[in-house]
Amino acid sequence: MKKSLRFGSAIAIAAAASLTLASCGFGGGTGDGGDTSGKTTLDLLVPTYDPDNTQGNWETVIDGFEAANPDIDVKLEVQSWDNLESVIATKIQGGEAPDIYNGGPFAGFAADELLYPAEEVVSAETFSDFQESFIANAEVDGTAYALPLIASARALFVNNTLLEQAGVAAPPTTWDELLDAATKVSALGGGVAGYGMPLGSEEAQAEAAVWLWGGGGTFGDADAITVDDPANLPGAEQIKKMIDAGATQADPGSTDRSPLMDIFVQGKIGMQVGLPPTVGQIEEGNPELDYSIVPIPTQDGSPITVGVMDQLMAFENDGDKQEAITKFLDYYYTADVYVPWVQAEGFLPVTKSGAEALGGEEALQPFLEVLPDAQFYPSTNPAWSATDAAFKALFGQIQTKPAQEVLTEIQAQADAG
Amino acid sequence: MAVTAPAFETIPAPATSARKRRYTEDQVPFGKVLVRMVAGLIVLLVFILPYVIMFFGSVKTKAQIRSVDPTYFPTEWHWENYINMWSTPETPLVQNLISTIIISVFATLLVLLVAMPAAYYTARMQFPGRMVFLFLVIVTQMLQPAVLTSGLFRQFVTLGMIDTWAAMIFINAAFNLSFAVWIMHSFFAGIPKEVDEAAQIDGAGRLTVLFRINLPLVWPGIVTAIVFTFVACWNEFAASLVILSTAGNQPLSVALTKFVGQYETSWHYVFGVSIVAIIPVVILFMIIEKRLVGGLTAGSVK
Amino acid sequence: MSTTTDASSIPEAGAAERRPRSGGPAGTDAAKPRKGGRELLASLPWIGPALILIFGVVLFPAVVMFYNSTRDISISGLDKGSVGFDNYIEVFTFPYFWPIFGRTIVWVVVVVAATVVISLGLAQILNKAFPGRRIVRLAVIIPWAASVVMTTMVVYYGLEPYFGIINKFLVDVGLIATPEGYGWTRNPETAFAWSIVVAVFVSLPFTTYTILAGLATVPGDVLEAAKMDGAGPVRTYFNVVLPQLRGALSVAVLINIINVFNSLPILKVMTGSIPGYDADTIMTMIFKYIQNQHKVDVASALSVVAFLIVIVIVAVYVKVVKPMKEV
Repeated sequence: MKKSLRFGSAIAIAAAASLTLASCGFGGGTGDGGDTSGKTTLDLLVPTYDPDNTQGNWETVIDGFEAANPDIDVKLEVQSWDNLESVIATKIQGGEAPDIYNGGPFAGFAADELLYPAEEVVSAETFSDFQESFIANAEVDGTAYALPLIASARALFVNNTLLEQAGVAAPPTTWDELLDAATKVSALGGGVAGYGMPLGSEEAQAEAAVWLWGGGGTFGDADAITVDDPANLPGAEQIKKMIDAGATQADPGSTDRSPLMDIFVQGKIGMQVGLPPTVGQIEEGNPELDYSIVPIPTQDGSPITVGVMDQLMAFENDGDKQEAITKFLDYYYTADVYVPWVQAEGFLPVTKSGAEALGGEEALQPFLEVLPDAQFYPSTNPAWSATDAAFKALFGQIQTKPAQEVLTEIQAQADAG
Repeated sequence: MAVTAPAFETIPAPATSARKRRYTEDQVPFGKVLVRMVAGLIVLLVFILPYVIMFFGSVKTKAQIRSVDPTYFPTEWHWENYINMWSTPETPLVQNLISTIIISVFATLLVLLVAMPAAYYTARMQFPGRMVFLFLVIVTQMLQPAVLTSGLFRQFVTLGMIDTWAAMIFINAAFNLSFAVWIMHSFFAGIPKEVDEAAQIDGAGRLTVLFRINLPLVWPGIVTAIVFTFVACWNEFAASLVILSTAGNQPLSVALTKFVGQYETSWHYVFGVSIVAIIPVVILFMIIEKRLVGGLTAGSVK
Repeated sequence: MSTTTDASSIPEAGAAERRPRSGGPAGTDAAKPRKGGRELLASLPWIGPALILIFGVVLFPAVVMFYNSTRDISISGLDKGSVGFDNYIEVFTFPYFWPIFGRTIVWVVVVVAATVVISLGLAQILNKAFPGRRIVRLAVIIPWAASVVMTTMVVYYGLEPYFGIINKFLVDVGLIATPEGYGWTRNPETAFAWSIVVAVFVSLPFTTYTILAGLATVPGDVLEAAKMDGAGPVRTYFNVVLPQLRGALSVAVLINIINVFNSLPILKVMTGSIPGYDADTIMTMIFKYIQNQHKVDVASALSVVAFLIVIVIVAVYVKVVKPMKEV
């Protein structure tokens, strides 16, 4: 008894101490460098692209880097996409931002002046190796605040067998052909859907872009978000047309992308928009699938694709690790390190040297071909993050609500920030 | 309760006689027993069904789990999933399991140690602020964990305890304390006060009364509180996610998310790890359930 | 515990209760406050550690929550200064707030009520002796042992069109006409209904076990006495057993109310892909503010509102049910 009482009071003291400390520590983190032994520690926070590979890929990079730079420790933290953004927000609020962060939207961080300009954390040589179009997508007011990491482009995956059965001679290139082909495939019955349309919250903004941009619309630019724009209406109306004609799977408004892609892989969907890693998924899940990859059909048949780029960002924190960060990033972007990394994740490279090295990759060919026509989200606009959220939360309602109403609602939520 | 002031000297009733009585009392016709067994079987099936599905998923391959037109039973049994999952590149699962055990065990002990005296005292004694105390304690439970994490993170950064088990032990203990206090309180309060008073007349101190006289009577309540606390710590996620950043320090609940990728997820491992995570809790319960039955005999003050 | 005398009515049992009341016969006006202070002091060794632990850990984050609800916090998490009550205004002017509020109440009431009724029945079955009871009792614990997220996930996948086993079953027995199954989790109403089912399912073990533990403290001779008086099983249950369960049950209900109100993972998984706000409760709305819109400030404001709502609910409950009446 005595003993446990003593333990109890020890806890009491510890807890009391924590209370005192907590009450005077309201101002936020202390920002330790973590360098107890003269070593610099770099915190690296990244999301999981492919559960089988991401952690291992980064560890390979880090091991190689640490061997060459014994005075720098890299501490890796991997989070799922679901949790990534709340973890980074918590860390920033606590004054403990990671040194290097792999994520999507960066304009908000740049606006809060948390990031190093890209040119300050990589050598001129590395910087000039990035493809210009990607760097342009990382710029705020003429300064790049993020380093392009990977790119992906969308294309239409077509199940040749189903189209043949439905009597469709060639993959569609225009909306009219797509509607016609998808309706025919849907008519095959047996749970088969003509066109896989994922408007659920997972990645509604991507499917929305496919249609709205395909009709000549846009989400806006660095200065203004323009979702509620007449130019977006044809695409939105076409989505409703597809749904009303029964050319899609059931409940498109609340179907998420990933599970729907699995159904395509299993041969139950005629056509669906996919991206480079889809190729690997088919190889793993159903290698017998007879499919082809074609450009996404648009209103008038002119090619368009939705490009997505993820970035690395370097947080300033106390400003004392710039040198170490630069060393790490320069190491990472050398072709010998970067190319195997991007290849294993199944995406497209963003450096000139990387594109050269992977130019012969057959699986990536269809995507490399459409990449020049790629349009990107207005991710340099600080309001893009809110717009993205609004699309995810609201766009699927287009299944039941008038198209114009949905666009107006998204614009309103985006404007509210 | 017409039988106040029982002869509590005999409270630790001889297990044998109590046991005998239970069975003789239950001299029920065979038909009735059959009905009970059928009802029990239905309950059993309903409660294990989701976990059977989970188990079947855990022995499939990644591709089979997402195959269209599923089969009720796995067509192949990939037991190797249960071996491979301990050495996947995604997460150091052995360390995750150890973390979970350490955090849950110590947090539960801490809760017991702190909650038991509080529950006993508030159930037994009148003192100013007693209701305030009980209400304050429960109020902490009404806060939204999702919103508290950022404050918790800041607090433990300031304390220099970020990314430590100790931080999670304190957090888990603090957030589960209130229910433990309330559960035990309600059981302590169920013991007639006269039991204590008589013992104290015999010269026993409060602690002796608590441990010698009260504890045996409230075992079912304590077991409930232990299981409740342990399970809550075992599955805690929101705080661990931000407090523990090193992969090896993270509990299983966080480790599970490592199998979730941007466009595909290793469901077979997610299911397998979930099954593995259930087992220790069930074992704990198997051990502790006897106590519940023991409490059953002791509780029927005779 | 109707017969245990209320402590206040014990005529100065100070002789027996030595420590706190050793101050002799209290009663004079002058002695009262001193005595209160002394009693409070005497209670500290017992309740002090609990207070320190809870408030040492919880106070700061709770203060941060209240503080953040009056701040303007950028999407990356930086504090941009005070905005007074603007965040609260945003919460209440959100056009879907009241439907969400109503749904939250429905959620709590339906889940807790169903849980209690089913648990009472389950506990009766598990309290009866029959071969294999131990196994059944262990099975009932499993949903408790498993993480709620995983249980929900399994049900979610069972309900998926094309590869869900529950959907397949419903198609096989002819309840659903479309060969790929029905999108249970794709429509707000059915997704919400299934969420309730899952929430009840995972709440059953704790509630059932609390009741079982309560049943274990029902004295055998009381039951025998009731039997001898000629009371049937139903009357015995309502007149003798249920009153005895009051303490355990009322606390279990209280804990369930709070837990169900605060429950996020079930609805998050089951209704996650549905656009709009037709299946949200306050909890999923807080989550959407944080996760999707990165509005920690508004989320904090809504959390404060939720906190006040649940305090009111609990206060009313405590007032009406008096879970601590017997002391």
